[in-house]
Amino acid sequence: MATKASHIPRQKGETLHDGFLRHAGFKWAKIAGGLSLVVIVTYLLIDVTPRHNGGSWYGYTLGTIGLGLIVWLTMLGVRKRKMTDGRWSLKAWTSAHVYLGLSLIVIGTMHTGFQLGWNVHTLAWALMMLVILSGMYGIWMYATLPQALSNNREEMTQGQMLDGLRAIDRQLHDAAQPLTAQQASLVRLSLEEDPFGGGLWARLTGRYRNCATHAAQAGMRQWTGSQPDTGNDPLERVDALLEKKQALLAQLRRHLRLRALLEIWLYIHVPATFALLAALTAHIISVFFYW
Amino acid sequence: MSFEIRQISTTADGREIVRSATSEKTQISIGRSSENDIHLQDLAVDPKHAEIEQLGNRRIRVRATGTLGFDIDGKPTLDAEIDASKGAELRFGGHRITVSPGDGDGVVLTVQRVEAVSDASEEKDEVRSFSLASTMLGKRPLAWALAVFVLLAFLAVPITSYLLRPAEDTRNIYEVMKQKGPGEDHVFGDASWSSGPLSKAHHALEGKCESCHEKAFVSVRDTACKTCHEKVHDHAPIERIRKAPGDMGIGRQVLASIGEMFGRPGVGACATCHIEHEGAGPMLATPQAFCTDCHSSLSERLTDTKIGDASDFGEAHPEFRPTVQVTPGKHPRFDRVSLAKKPTDDSGLKFPHDVHLSKTGGVAQMGRRLSEEYGFGDALACSDCHKPTSDGVRFQPVDMKRDCQMCHSLGFEMVDGTTRTLRHGQPDQVIADLRAYYRSTGPAVPIQLGGMSRRRPGNYADGKVHHAYFGAVAARPNGADAAIAAVFSEGGACYDCHTITPPGVADNASWSVLPVHQTSRFFTKGWFDHKAHDTEDCESCHSAPTSKLATDLLLPDLKSCRDCHGGENSNTDVPSGCALCHSYHMGDEAPWVSNAGVARPREETK
Repeated sequence: MATKASHIPRQKGETLHDGFLRHAGFKWAKIAGGLSLVVIVTYLLIDVTPRHNGGSWYGYTLGTIGLGLIVWLTMLGVRKRKMTDGRWSLKAWTSAHVYLGLSLIVIGTMHTGFQLGWNVHTLAWALMMLVILSGMYGIWMYATLPQALSNNREEMTQGQMLDGLRAIDRQLHDAAQPLTAQQASLVRLSLEEDPFGGGLWARLTGRYRNCATHAAQAGMRQWTGSQPDTGNDPLERVDALLEKKQALLAQLRRHLRLRALLEIWLYIHVPATFALLAALTAHIISVFFYW
Repeated sequence: MSFEIRQISTTADGREIVRSATSEKTQISIGRSSENDIHLQDLAVDPKHAEIEQLGNRRIRVRATGTLGFDIDGKPTLDAEIDASKGAELRFGGHRITVSPGDGDGVVLTVQRVEAVSDASEEKDEVRSFSLASTMLGKRPLAWALAVFVLLAFLAVPITSYLLRPAEDTRNIYEVMKQKGPGEDHVFGDASWSSGPLSKAHHALEGKCESCHEKAFVSVRDTACKTCHEKVHDHAPIERIRKAPGDMGIGRQVLASIGEMFGRPGVGACATCHIEHEGAGPMLATPQAFCTDCHSSLSERLTDTKIGDASDFGEAHPEFRPTVQVTPGKHPRFDRVSLAKKPTDDSGLKFPHDVHLSKTGGVAQMGRRLSEEYGFGDALACSDCHKPTSDGVRFQPVDMKRDCQMCHSLGFEMVDGTTRTLRHGQPDQVIADLRAYYRSTGPAVPIQLGGMSRRRPGNYADGKVHHAYFGAVAARPNGADAAIAAVFSEGGACYDCHTITPPGVADNASWSVLPVHQTSRFFTKGWFDHKAHDTEDCESCHSAPTSKLATDLLLPDLKSCRDCHGGENSNTDVPSGCALCHSYHMGDEAPWVSNAGVARPREETK
């Protein structure tokens, strides 16, 4: 992919290391910012009687623009599966997605005229805000986490991390052979622990309260703690291996946590988008059903 | 009989290596310790786990030696007899031992590790394991679930309930209040469609949407409103209303034409002005803009209109046109005349306000004399004669008996301490009473005749006195005519206040008094509430203290009202929309918004 891309001449004004946020000199940021400003100014200047709401001509106009934007923004999901470049490159598209999406805060909220309540109309607004906020969180994470992710990996790939764990497990398994059944069962706890287990909360916080390896080592120390390290006690070897495994697990878990933080927003952004499309449908139909 | 033990192991690239050994022992041991015949490197296996014993004829017995058992064909057990010719599968921890018949009467035990050393060593889908996908419900199912839930709850349920609702019409608010509940006899789930609470007046209809939204995809019609509001009349003939609106701006015009395309009733429909779902509490006052859409330049479109154009009270409003009495009398003539033309109002009375309100002079002095009895102050005040109506909106007509007679007495004779008075408002009775008085009373009786009158000095003959007295007695009734003429003429009791026509003028047989008509409401097209203005002095609007004539029209003009009142969006003390004084569905009562939303700044700052 990279070699292929290098043959395509750069577009005018495009620099190599522009991310989607800085794309084309913040072109879409300016467009979206201008759009928001126009909406705010017209909202304040246009005298809608008795008060601003979605049912005035101005409200309908904003609603139509908002709906069009939401549908178009959703299309990024389709568009991103087809990479092209140029003016409508995926990067340009993503840049527009981000900034126009942000301008929806203004357009959508002005459309409501700040008339919010416990109804399907406000549900649509709230879902829209949820989608936008999760997107903002996502961008923030994309901007800050990759550096931390890279630092934590210490030049290791995910596969290498897993292989390292497997190697330690094999050594643990071998080293534990001379152990008594009670001691062996402790080691087995660690061996049988799923390094990817722990659930969503553990992933996001990086806290694994019921870590079996930790428990195994704690158990092991009951025997090794009171004895001098003679250098050929299999228990000491197992203890050392468990410690190594803990260190590796900690690194893996930091990695998993960073990845979880990087990914979690999409689990809100995408389903909330579809809920929003459904709520929008209900909003529009209900408005005209009881016109 | 022997055991053949085959150990199968797998190389890193997946190749299987089989190592075979034969044992001639009749009993072999299985365990994690290396001294066992079958040595299983498996932490789930005890150091000495089990023993296998030959029973002959290819039959073997497997017996656990510790507390941990093993599985035979998937079933856990501690002790089992196996016919090797039939075969069996044993499971010790992560190892599988397959029992099968060997050469002769030998038994083959095939040992293979079937479980990975650890969980991590198992095959993992790396992409999935490292991503959140392994701990979460997928984005796609989550998206579908949420979308379907929203569509069901907020669309499918209300629409289904709407389609299944009973057909009977329950739109009258009184019927609606008797309704049983959502789902039973009105639509269920559509409350989530309400864009805001209904106003106080329509609160009973909350959640009973179909009371007003009669048909799906058909906007609210006047018929829905008129189910309850039966007596509301139109503002003007609908053809004229349709012609009336001026330029509403491109946005509203486009919206109106789109609405029209879909059959939404436009100008003149109830819902055009009366907007609902704008929050609990009183219904929103109809904004000025709804009036000025038409009235700011009505004369351009309805060229025959008599109504002046108005777009804002503070900026563009025609001068007031009170209804004044042009000709007083039995058949008075009224006319609406602009205050700009300085009209007069002739009620038929003569009354100088300035004399009565003067702080000095006879009136003030008389007021002071009567102050104990009537509560007057140092001088007369407006309220001494003008009494408000019970609602405080206007004033009662000034009443002679109540408001004037304490000074302007009509008494003419004292009988045993009681003052007889002329009957006010009945000139014929006044004449009759005066005649009767002269008929029934005599002149003062001279002392010679037993009277109290002093005798004249000199030689005036008794006979002459007699003659003079009885002559006077005889002539007494004729004196009535002079008294009557005096009452009705200049200087008389009636003449001071009333316009009198003497007999012989204008076919008049007798004295007659011009009927008086006191106007109680000058502004018939607008509303003025005196009570709302009771923080003001009367004189700040009515210049009565300087008025010399009763015909002076003491109404404040537009400019005077603008001291406090301005348009709806003005910065005046009292921003006033049209609806403060005018009513769209005009009747005798106050505009319905009259008291709502009007601050009374002077009172508040007190």
